[in-house]
Amino acid sequence: MKTWKRNLLAVPILVWIGLLVGIPMVLVVALSFLSRDHLGNIVYQFTLDNYRRVLDPIYLRVFLNSLLLALLTGLITLLVGYPVAYITSNLPPRRRALALGLIMLPFWISSLLRTYGWMILLGNAGLINNVLLALKIIDKPLPMMYKFSTSLVGTAYMLMPFMIVAVFNSVDKLDRSLLEASYDLGASKWKTFFHITVPLTLPGIAGGFTLVFIPALGLYFVSDLLGGGNTVFLGNLIHTMATRGRNRPLAAAFSMGMIALVLMVLSLYMKASKDKTGEGLFQ
Amino acid sequence: MKAKVSGFGIFYLSLFFVVLYLPVLSVVLYSFNASSSTAQWTGWTLDWYRQLFSDRVIAQAFRVSIQVAVLTALLSAVLGTFTAVISLWVTNRTKKAIQGMMILPLIVPEVALGVSLLFFFNALRLPFGILTLVLSHSLFCVPYVYIMVRLRLQEIDVSIIESALDLGASRRQMVRTIILPLVAPSIVTAALLCLAMSLDDVIISTYMSGPRSTTLPVHIFSMMRVGVTPKVNALCSLILMGTFLIIGFSQLITKKRRFS
Repeated sequence: MKTWKRNLLAVPILVWIGLLVGIPMVLVVALSFLSRDHLGNIVYQFTLDNYRRVLDPIYLRVFLNSLLLALLTGLITLLVGYPVAYITSNLPPRRRALALGLIMLPFWISSLLRTYGWMILLGNAGLINNVLLALKIIDKPLPMMYKFSTSLVGTAYMLMPFMIVAVFNSVDKLDRSLLEASYDLGASKWKTFFHITVPLTLPGIAGGFTLVFIPALGLYFVSDLLGGGNTVFLGNLIHTMATRGRNRPLAAAFSMGMIALVLMVLSLYMKASKDKTGEGLFQ
Repeated sequence: MKAKVSGFGIFYLSLFFVVLYLPVLSVVLYSFNASSSTAQWTGWTLDWYRQLFSDRVIAQAFRVSIQVAVLTALLSAVLGTFTAVISLWVTNRTKKAIQGMMILPLIVPEVALGVSLLFFFNALRLPFGILTLVLSHSLFCVPYVYIMVRLRLQEIDVSIIESALDLGASRRQMVRTIILPLVAPSIVTAALLCLAMSLDDVIISTYMSGPRSTTLPVHIFSMMRVGVTPKVNALCSLILMGTFLIIGFSQLITKKRRFS
């Protein structure tokens, strides 16, 4: 077959992605430069107002909230998840399979259910408060819901498996003889960990961080249910503007801002992992 | 030589799994609580499950969700497998381009994808409903099928393919008799994952649902916003059971357990 004829086979997928991602994204870019009337209808007039409003201190605050949430989510999942991946990789075969199964299982469990579980645990009449009250450790319920930290716990919990799987794939490929060599040469456990293990598993860390950071920017239902809307994040704002707020141009401008954040993280990831195409993220 | 895991390591891992599954287990536990508040445990009951079965709105949302999930899984399985298989023949540059495109829907946050599709389908005057739901869900499902089938294809010995062609098989014959049977377990697993992902999606579905085609997760989300009610617990527990059935099914098909 001739080369161009062979490449024709890629047409279906091109049409699919062009129709469902390409054109809609062009539309978002175009919309972000348009105005709207007081009823929320689009007015075809070029403006930079939407971007000016993104930089408004009130809205900038929203950006910072989201950035902070996503960064802290990345950090928490890394600190908690790295040891989990590391220990799992060192387990004997049968236990290792079991541990891996338990790590992957939440991917299949409804994300709403997993968020709702925290509402039941952390609520004023929730399980944790009930237990503490029954044990007489506290005499009135601890308020744990509807805070920034509640959203953070929920988001980190939701995305934890992504981090663990990414780190695990990296840790598992680690050449253990390098660690032995390091011990033989007199390095301590911690020194070996920070000078050998961490640099060699950096692609996994970077990949995990990226896979956690991106969805953390947009998981609005988690911050909605657990944060109670007390802290406004980008996802909540875009959602409100695009639906009830009837301000599509502004929603489009904020989506562009969100995508800019994603691109920033992706370029950092590509630098740290030397993965030029971003393909390593999903292997 | 692998390092031995210390006692503390085992302890840490166990503690992690307890925290990982505690929220899930408490949802199931409180679905059997006779009291409508989590403040107290007043005994076991199945009332909340009974209430579910008489709820028409939930039944309707469930039907929509199942239809969408099955159609999405089928569409994604076909398109994802097709793309993975043709990647064997296209030029290297096209292959790179396909890989890049497949990652696109996975790296754009779902809110941005949902909003962009909302604008697009609105501009097309496409009625929101099953069709828009299936199209939008295929966006995050096709890449997974593609990735899983490609991983399997990479394991296949290239010489089998070449010898089939040398012996005079046409490409079509070769795909049907050699490649598809070899990747079939991966396709089924990927399709079941699509089923689960489609049944679970909240964010994109919020934008794609029509007035009479709300999906189950969108409806559950609106119920949860009101607060903790045992009816939601019961509904979530039932869905969890359904999910476990799907996983069991996929394990049965692939038999050999494979991770990563």
